[in-house]
Amino acid sequence: MNHRPFEDWILDEQPLKPEQKRDLQAHLLECSHCTALSEVSLELRSVKVAAPAPGFTARFEARLNSQKVRERRNRLVGALVLGIGGVGLLIWFIGPYMARFLGSPAGWIAAVVSFFVVLVDMLRALGDVGSIMLRILPGFIPPIGWMIILSAISGLTLLWMVSIWRFTRFAKGV
Amino acid sequence: MNEEQAWVFQAQKGDDQAFTQLVEAYQKPVYNLCYRMLGEPEAAEDASQETFLRAYQHLGRYDASRPFATWLLSIAAHYCIDRLRRRRFSTFSIDDEEDDAPAFEIPDADAPNPERESIRREERENLHEMLASLDATDRAAIVMRYWNDASEIEIAESLGLTVSAVKSRLHRARLALGKRWEESSAQKEPKRRPHESPAF
Repeated sequence: MNHRPFEDWILDEQPLKPEQKRDLQAHLLECSHCTALSEVSLELRSVKVAAPAPGFTARFEARLNSQKVRERRNRLVGALVLGIGGVGLLIWFIGPYMARFLGSPAGWIAAVVSFFVVLVDMLRALGDVGSIMLRILPGFIPPIGWMIILSAISGLTLLWMVSIWRFTRFAKGV
Repeated sequence: MNEEQAWVFQAQKGDDQAFTQLVEAYQKPVYNLCYRMLGEPEAAEDASQETFLRAYQHLGRYDASRPFATWLLSIAAHYCIDRLRRRRFSTFSIDDEEDDAPAFEIPDADAPNPERESIRREERENLHEMLASLDATDRAAIVMRYWNDASEIEIAESLGLTVSAVKSRLHRARLALGKRWEESSAQKEPKRRPHESPAF
């Protein structure tokens, strides 16, 4: 049986002209498919709205309060763990140096200064090596090699951005 | 500024009492959406509580130019869709739940015509099962359209779809429901005959 245009009239739920209504009524008498479509629409409109059990708002307030307490506790525990961990790490790192520093402060200060001098020299040497490499390397690496390196860097950057987006996005619909 | 906007404004400023007023005002449409989506009172209660909790936590992100109800239903619909998708991947099925759960609409003992009421209840349960057979997003669109009287634009905003996608989903969902209704009517027909009046 041809259900056009009756199926569309029922599904689109647009107002019908009197002659269309008449044609539809006549079609519904002999078509079980369109009758089912029409009945389902009526049924959907007639089912009542489900309501929650009484006291919904009070239960929400209790849930909100317990959530707030949990968040406060988590924040406090987090701050404590971070603080104690930080102090512990600091003591672990500087503990041995503190004993030496307290033993001979002048020698220790001289050692620190010489360490920084060596560090600065090393960084400068690394910079020189880097600039020389930058001048030499383009000649050694073929264009396809550069393409692979750049693609790898782009891929890793994209992966990093997607990871950041996945972990920081808000819940859907909010 | 109407009363609802005033509550939202106060709630955004940190007034919990104002947010409670919003919960009071919208508990029914939110619960109904969750119930029709998840098909179980306990799950619906939990989902609607979670919806209000998420709304409370992200109230600062609410755009006052949009209706508050649309924003709230959007949170509820997405939460239920996510939950249904997770449920699909677990061994727990809607059919199992319904076997254990009590009938969701208890017939009214004071109803003037118990037989008619029983048939109505059967039809509602049938519709409930048919809704459960739809894709989660189609189901959300149908519930918002028929129970919340949402326009196609509002449904599109809530579900993050285009208006034409909503029209197409509603069309497809109604067609699927109609086909199932027809099949179910055809199955019921021989069963009802023995109970009909001998005069027929």
